[in-house]
Amino acid sequence: MSHEVLEFDVSSNVLLEKAKKDGAETIWDRQIAMKAKCGFGDKGLCCRICAMGPCRISPVEGKGAQRGLCGATADTIAARNFARMVAAGTAAHSDHARDIAHVMHMANKDGNYKVKDVGKLMKLAAEWKLDTEGKDTDEIAHELAEKALMEFGKPFGVQNFLTRAPKQRQQIWKDLKIEPRAIDREVVSLMHSTHIGCASDAESIFEMSMRTSLADGWGGSMIGTEFSDIMFGTPTARGTEANLGVIEENMVNILLHGHDPSFSEMVVLAAEVPELIQLAKEVGADGINLVGMCCTGNEVTMRHGVKIAGNFYQQEMAILTGALEAVMVDVQCIFPALARLSDCYHTKFISTSPKAKITGSTYIEFNEEHALETCTQIIREAIMNFKNRDSSKVLIPQIKSKAIVGYSVETVIQHLDKVVNSQTDVFNTVKPLSDVIWAGVIRGAAGVVGCNNPQVKHDKSHITLIKELIKNDVIVVATGCAAQAAAKAGLMTMEAKELCGRGLKEVCERVGIPPVLHMGSCVDISRILDLVSRVAIERGLDNSNLPVVGVAPEWMSEKAVAIGTYVISSGIDTFLGITPQITGSEMFTNLLTDKIEEKVGAKFFFEEDPIICAQKIMDRIEEKRDRLGI
Amino acid sequence: MNLFKIIYSGKDQYLELAEKMVQKAIDEKGRDAEVKFPSTAYSLPVIYAITGEKIATVGDLEKAIVLAKEFIHEGRLLQDALDSGTASAMLAEIIEAVKYTLDAEPYKAPLQGHLTDAQIRAFGVPLVTQDIPGVAVIIGECKDAETAAGIIKDYQAKGLLTFMVGKVIDQAIEQGVKMGIDLRVIPLGYEIESVIHVVSVAIRASLIFGAVEPGNFEAHKKYTKDRVKAFVNVFDNWDDKIIAAGAAAIELGFPAVTETFINEVPTLLLHQPDNSKVVETSLEVRNIKIKITNIDIPVGISSAFEGERIRKNDMYAEFGGGRTKAWELVRMKEMSEIEDNKIELIGPDIDTADKIPYNMPFAVIVDVAGRSMEEDFEPVLERRLHYFMNYIEGVMHIGQRNIAWIRIGKESYEKGLRLADIGKVIYAKMKSDFDKVVDKCQVTIYTDPAMVEQLEKEIALPKYATRDLRLASLIDENVDTFYTCTLCQSFAPAHVCIVTPERLGLCGAVSWLDAKATKELDPTGACQPIAKTGVEDEEKGIWTEISNAVATASQGAVERVSLYSILEDPMTSCGCFECICGIMPEANGVVIVNREFGTVTPVGMTFGELASMTGGGVQTPGFMGHGRHFIASKKFMSAEGGIGRIVWMPKELKDDVRDRLNATAKELYNIDNFVDMICDETIAVESEAVLEFLEAKGHPALSLDPIM
Repeated sequence: MSHEVLEFDVSSNVLLEKAKKDGAETIWDRQIAMKAKCGFGDKGLCCRICAMGPCRISPVEGKGAQRGLCGATADTIAARNFARMVAAGTAAHSDHARDIAHVMHMANKDGNYKVKDVGKLMKLAAEWKLDTEGKDTDEIAHELAEKALMEFGKPFGVQNFLTRAPKQRQQIWKDLKIEPRAIDREVVSLMHSTHIGCASDAESIFEMSMRTSLADGWGGSMIGTEFSDIMFGTPTARGTEANLGVIEENMVNILLHGHDPSFSEMVVLAAEVPELIQLAKEVGADGINLVGMCCTGNEVTMRHGVKIAGNFYQQEMAILTGALEAVMVDVQCIFPALARLSDCYHTKFISTSPKAKITGSTYIEFNEEHALETCTQIIREAIMNFKNRDSSKVLIPQIKSKAIVGYSVETVIQHLDKVVNSQTDVFNTVKPLSDVIWAGVIRGAAGVVGCNNPQVKHDKSHITLIKELIKNDVIVVATGCAAQAAAKAGLMTMEAKELCGRGLKEVCERVGIPPVLHMGSCVDISRILDLVSRVAIERGLDNSNLPVVGVAPEWMSEKAVAIGTYVISSGIDTFLGITPQITGSEMFTNLLTDKIEEKVGAKFFFEEDPIICAQKIMDRIEEKRDRLGI
Repeated sequence: MNLFKIIYSGKDQYLELAEKMVQKAIDEKGRDAEVKFPSTAYSLPVIYAITGEKIATVGDLEKAIVLAKEFIHEGRLLQDALDSGTASAMLAEIIEAVKYTLDAEPYKAPLQGHLTDAQIRAFGVPLVTQDIPGVAVIIGECKDAETAAGIIKDYQAKGLLTFMVGKVIDQAIEQGVKMGIDLRVIPLGYEIESVIHVVSVAIRASLIFGAVEPGNFEAHKKYTKDRVKAFVNVFDNWDDKIIAAGAAAIELGFPAVTETFINEVPTLLLHQPDNSKVVETSLEVRNIKIKITNIDIPVGISSAFEGERIRKNDMYAEFGGGRTKAWELVRMKEMSEIEDNKIELIGPDIDTADKIPYNMPFAVIVDVAGRSMEEDFEPVLERRLHYFMNYIEGVMHIGQRNIAWIRIGKESYEKGLRLADIGKVIYAKMKSDFDKVVDKCQVTIYTDPAMVEQLEKEIALPKYATRDLRLASLIDENVDTFYTCTLCQSFAPAHVCIVTPERLGLCGAVSWLDAKATKELDPTGACQPIAKTGVEDEEKGIWTEISNAVATASQGAVERVSLYSILEDPMTSCGCFECICGIMPEANGVVIVNREFGTVTPVGMTFGELASMTGGGVQTPGFMGHGRHFIASKKFMSAEGGIGRIVWMPKELKDDVRDRLNATAKELYNIDNFVDMICDETIAVESEAVLEFLEAKGHPALSLDPIM
């Protein structure tokens, strides 16, 4: 097959040739086998939430079925399908967060899991009005964890973190009755409302979707981020490298893939155990080389500088190198295909989470009580597998880029402090950022996030769009697989300032940052919400007044749907490079891309061409600037 | 507030005015009339640096407007706005050039307007030594004259160079702020366009010291941003033109601080409504560190007062100057012999005056001790006494040793200045500037006539004699170590001096002993020893090790140096040299011109034009910048025959070096009164007339081998 889909990625072509030789199957082979997409599903018009159907609505008005057996219209079906994606995405992020809170509840200064950032713990304790008088760190951590766990199921009240939003935004949520209550409740409630014969009003379904999504952004995701920082350390700027070239020929290579840092952190810890390193040398390797992928890759690179092997679409490529002793996974975004693919090589494919047992994998259950022990065992398995490597099957593309990662909100502010004049301003604020936006030195900011999707050329949308934006003095913050695409393209280096307009270049030089800031994993989009809200509050405005946007050029997961929805619900326009499966309903499409702005001050834009998308983003930014008179 | 629109509007106003002014110049003077600022080789400097185009006539000004317009494009990105700032600067320069075309003296004292190349070159040494730690540009009018004076004096006291534009000038005059180029407070003019004259200073620093190619605007911007520590203060309400000028400043790397609200840009554009904090705000934003020596005396102490003159009518007391004895001495003692911080006056103080001016004898003995102190450093420290005393507001010091001449002004006396205060300053500066070698210091001032006379005979004169003997023995052949001096690299990044006993730094400020002491004071600093090994040509002064050291210190810009030749790989210069010499082939010799000399020389060029041929660390065979002192050295272009090649010098320079040059000529060629054989501007400037004079005098150059 021809792999023109990969024109943007020189390393993959070589590996795909190799795959053919090795008899290995990849996502592109399956894409070809899949042939054309289902036209009804693609438009969101297939309903299979009850057993009367599946029903499918004709996309052509006045021709064919216009209603399902129950009478649900295209509007209802598209809205319900969308809502259920939001619920699933929210569930995924939040369940991840719940695990972190549980880990914090186990925090023990003598145990595997210790509180790393006591300062942040105390700050959050104060924010959540926890009485800390006379309590030691572990006690405070346990009580705060309990409070966090209550956020999932508390019978009354709304999410604690909502107060971080600008007052105007909180009022909008209150007025629309979309302040998220307990996280689990919002997911459950939305699942209930989209059950057969429940809500059919598309607008109402979308409002409930917004409320559920906010339980993700300002609930689950934010807990996931903040509690991970407390337990594993708040990220600070550090160097790393990205792309398959970080896999090393003479090392025991272990790929970490998935999402939950309570697992990956322990693996990082175990990989430093001297006996294991010694063992690796005994089997003839130079040492242990841990490399990351997807959001777990982001978590460990942000906190430890662990090298990034690649993003979502490269999970198969990494195995195709033939140089991985083990692939260790926990939850989310893991191809079931990895099991079969690993069988073509000596690679051990180890699943660890009871939430994500994978057919054909070696299952070694990770449980937090015996965290280090389990991880040591897994690494030992990997080391012992080194001798089984078939060097004739090894091909590591020698391609990698340097990157600076680790821009938590705290680290961003710390960098901004460098340009504060102590005679005119105070430290520890986002005022310098708001100043340069107001002055026009940078025109605005874009959060570029999301996955990879074989519907578009991999990484091409990410990179083309980001380059367009920074060239036009729009600063970019990135998370998830989008961030990894930028890292691989060298956009997270100081040198990348040369690709920027003069204004952004000046900011990069003076603040000492790259033009594209890696803010973490997909739950860490909560950091972006936090940062944007701080700028709005600094100016006494709402998020929707600011010239900032969210973009997901290559999204694919349900989590991304939840994210996009909470981002617009937070007043930030969201540009999607993949059109969501809703276009079968003109009404619902119109709601998301236009009408919703009247309610929340932001809307969705669908644009698959990255150049045109960048132009639309800049037009929208300038529109917001004009409204502000800046 | 849309900052960019403000800049575009300001730019429009400059454009309108520039077009009107150029038309006026065409109408009144015609297109062929000459356009230039006084005494600059870079006319018009800002446009020349930005575009590489020289503007020489009124007709060229039309072209200059077109060049400026190329920077005008009103987009939404910062570069668009900054380009409009650049266009505004170019247009302002056009406007100012027209003023100089229509009126020979558009700025009357105390207004300065344009600064000459020589005036800029004179700032070179204090800029590199950070004696001038920064450049303040004050625009507008302060809320009252006291505030203005307070801010200006604060900058002055910190040694900054302060330029003023607008009504603040009147406020400074009203408050009696001491101003002028020598006092580092320079009123440019009342109209905002006059600010271009300080931009021109910064840009010419890049052309002169940085040797940055005209037309390479990116490199000029980098130079000014990295090396010229300038900033702007705007008082009262700003208008669009001021902000457009501010954009030009920002493009050159100079931040602005405004009193009236403006949308801030961190590190570039700040709003500081509190006048009492504007100085600190500005120093912080430009990262200017002031070396503070807090000395408790009733008057100001600052390098900015170094150039202050005390005229007869302002004089309260005077020491030396032919009327009384005055001498000074730094001597090294054992640690145990010194009581640190003992400042003693032996004899009457100045408040015993029976008449004004009060003429008194004066002697100061500064005893120093320290573990790393060496007797060789005594004269180095002693020469600093000149600066330390001059730094005191209302004290003027001239000369050295026993030809010292000191004046104290009435105003400072009235503020309470007494002789012990001078002692305090000397003590404090010795301890702070020479902390690595001076552990203990004690100052004794004598005004008792008998003591002054007696101690001169017993202590001072024998000490001077010993030192002279030591200096006489200090010739290049007698030492095995030379020194690099890269002090200037903060301004001329490719330049490096090689300092030898007989060839001091080009600036005239760093002798071999100074270099040695500097190495001691700052072991990894600007002066590093080089072993004089790998001789290639002793006559031309080529040593492999020396060339290697130059190659390293100049980051490869210069790979080979002949210390004693101006034709073959001559030593480079920074740009702040006191003199430049250039070949006059028809006379088989060289002319030397000092930077104070304003008119044309026999080689058809002025000092400024000659100087523009070299500087910035570039080797230009046939041209060489140097200090005045070097002229009498036996090593002065000795590869080409030495001082016997000097055929022409300005009269003032001739008189200055006369005695020493005559002595060297006597020693080298057994010629008496050699200086009288050298032509000067009072005799002839035209080539033929100069030759006639040389022939009439039998000048030795005429009989030497052909120089080229």
